[in-house]
Amino acid sequence: MPMVSALAIAALSARPGRQLARLSVFLSGATFALATLLLFAYLGTSSPTWLTTGLGWGSLYLDPLSIIMSLLVAGISLVVHVYSVRYMAEEPGYARFFALLDLMTAAILLLVAAGDFITLLIAWHLIGVLLYFLLAHNTQRPAAHRYAFWTFFTYRLGDLPLVLAAVLLYQTYDTIALPTLFERIAAAPNAPGVLGFSLLEVVALLIAVAAFARSAQFPFHTWLPYTMEGPTPVSALMHAGIVNAGGFLLNRFAPVFVEAGVVLHLVFAVGLITAVLGSVLMLTQNDIKKSLGYSTMGQMGFMFVELGVGAFSLAIYHLIAHGLFKGTMFLGAGGVIGDARKHDGVPHEDVYTLVVERKPVAARLPWMLAAAITVVVPFLLLGLSHWLVDSDFVGQQGAIVLLFFGWVTGAQLLFATHRLRVESPSRLMVLIILSLAIVVVGYTLIEHNFDLFMYPDRELSERLYAAASIPLATFGGLVTLVTIAIVVGWIAAYYTMANRDPLDGRTGNPRMALYSLFSREFYVADVYSRVSETVLALSKRFNIWSRWV
Amino acid sequence: MLLLLIACLLLPLFPLSMPFNALLGRLKRPGLRLAVVLITPQLGILVLNSAAQPIPEGFTTWALASAAFYAIRLLSVRDLAMWAGFLATSALALVWSFAAGGTAPVELHLIAFALSLPPALLMLLAGTLTRRFGAAYAGLHGGLARCLPKWSRLLILVVLAAIATPVFPGFFILLDLVFRADWPAASAILFVWLIWSWAGTRVLQGFVFEPCQRVEVRDVRPAAVAGYSILLTLFLIAGLGIAGGVL
Repeated sequence: MPMVSALAIAALSARPGRQLARLSVFLSGATFALATLLLFAYLGTSSPTWLTTGLGWGSLYLDPLSIIMSLLVAGISLVVHVYSVRYMAEEPGYARFFALLDLMTAAILLLVAAGDFITLLIAWHLIGVLLYFLLAHNTQRPAAHRYAFWTFFTYRLGDLPLVLAAVLLYQTYDTIALPTLFERIAAAPNAPGVLGFSLLEVVALLIAVAAFARSAQFPFHTWLPYTMEGPTPVSALMHAGIVNAGGFLLNRFAPVFVEAGVVLHLVFAVGLITAVLGSVLMLTQNDIKKSLGYSTMGQMGFMFVELGVGAFSLAIYHLIAHGLFKGTMFLGAGGVIGDARKHDGVPHEDVYTLVVERKPVAARLPWMLAAAITVVVPFLLLGLSHWLVDSDFVGQQGAIVLLFFGWVTGAQLLFATHRLRVESPSRLMVLIILSLAIVVVGYTLIEHNFDLFMYPDRELSERLYAAASIPLATFGGLVTLVTIAIVVGWIAAYYTMANRDPLDGRTGNPRMALYSLFSREFYVADVYSRVSETVLALSKRFNIWSRWV
Repeated sequence: MLLLLIACLLLPLFPLSMPFNALLGRLKRPGLRLAVVLITPQLGILVLNSAAQPIPEGFTTWALASAAFYAIRLLSVRDLAMWAGFLATSALALVWSFAAGGTAPVELHLIAFALSLPPALLMLLAGTLTRRFGAAYAGLHGGLARCLPKWSRLLILVVLAAIATPVFPGFFILLDLVFRADWPAASAILFVWLIWSWAGTRVLQGFVFEPCQRVEVRDVRPAAVAGYSILLTLFLIAGLGIAGGVL
């Protein structure tokens, strides 16, 4: 349907842009309705469908993963279409923008529903090309083109390992149809390898690298924050949908990752590095859109951490939740900037509050009580809710890692609440704990049922957790080490903040060096620029040597 | 062996590709360039077939190296016609891999045609620009998306076809080649493909993007636009047809 819309816009390009935009929105709504119908049809039968064209390619595989992703993509695309009708009205190339948006929606839908390798590769490749033109929609802005190129080139880098993975799988299992391929992999997982490595480990590594590039994982992350040069609706679509393709890809090839535990460990490590770097860089930005860009990078890192511990369905749940909230934040970024121009957001001093506003002076809970609540409450909430819903789950290493991250997040929230100075700190704390309990219990129930929906084959789900596991002693050591690092970090941060002189803005040399490192984004983009300059210089040298013929 | 070397001149492999590119540089009429780009490889395949001998193993490596060499050279070329010539040289070198793999002669002719048509069309587009500005250099009159929107649209489509974007035939041809190759050769082909993409965006940046220079020139005529559009649509449909036979 989005493809029909794009073709109709191209054919009717002489008509007023508003009419074409309305047509695009209407067909986008119809696509969303169709995706919803597909979901209900699946819930009725609970069996995946493989639709083939008979050409050997162009097939569609409608399983829980593709159906839920189609619904998400169609939904976000509809919101972005509606938003763009007015937002893009003054921009040149209004109809072209809608045609490209429709083509992009079609390509993403094709990707998530692809039933064979050729269709998957076509969609995978086309998304990069279309994103390039969407980001460079304003042809007059050199920066827009420059960053569109960064994105395109990183995506192309990611295309290549996926093609190689397809080649290796095709040459070994002699099929491009994904359902048949997964059956053959399950029947013969120990196929002859490449260069002494297991074939499925090599394939899993190639797929993981393709996913890293698509989802802005370190060191393929440099393009993501700079895509803000494109129109805001494109940023929303990209951060809410396109950038999630890596998580989708790993889920699609879950049967391969069952046989490649080593690669899952790599995915975990890369995800963790990306999550930490993305969060650090987010905190050092003074531009809201760029800050959101790095926030997406951090979230993508966290999604890969989930994949790395074997929680594949949780990663999809995460990308849906992230897609929805990040899309909302991007579309509301303009409003936030407008508000910031009117209100500075700086809290008043105690004296002002008491004398001028005639309100009681704000207070805090005793620190000992706050510390106890911070440590114990998230632990109890997360542990009990998961134990009640699925007691087996809590024993998995992956589950322990996720619960640990959940505990850190909950503790951070409560710690931040304690730092707020309010009229009634105990009431605020009770409300926050209640909210946290609702979120945690709700999340646990939804996630558990979502997992059953996504992976009705429980054995596959359990094998993924098993593949992601490491020796128990190593696991225990790592968890202890990370816990100590986090707790020491918290204490150090609290101590520094408590003893800081607010009038003294000086910082020592090591901190300045660290800040420089962050502000230059770890010099990764500079390294890439140097490499590309070297290749261009080599190209010129070759041409001079061969006299330009 | 002599016939194989003649084939290397016509289905150009470096350094025997140099006369091919020198000839393209000498020819001033875009129509003649188009004819050379389209006909020469077909003659090369005829010679290759008449040699009636298996292609020595080293030729495949030589062809891949030649394709990679011209792909890298593409990155610093600003003249659109020269760029098209280098791209044709890089792409046509890959035909040798098909020939070494035992592809039927008719298929070889079709593959060579599909790989040489987009560069040939680029020659025509370069001619159109040269008639208006005196030269077709990337960056000379950037921002043509505003000044020459129809020409820019055609350039974008032809460049996309030339760098083997789906669903143009080049994409399926490269995919076919990669699926047949062993993994080192497949990696080399993918490297060439990556560099084509980079070079393609550099060309688009130099001609289509950037601020408009506000030059007063006539855009491509509607009849020419219709001609290009029909040809590209047929080419695209052919790509979908080829896709059915990829695997």
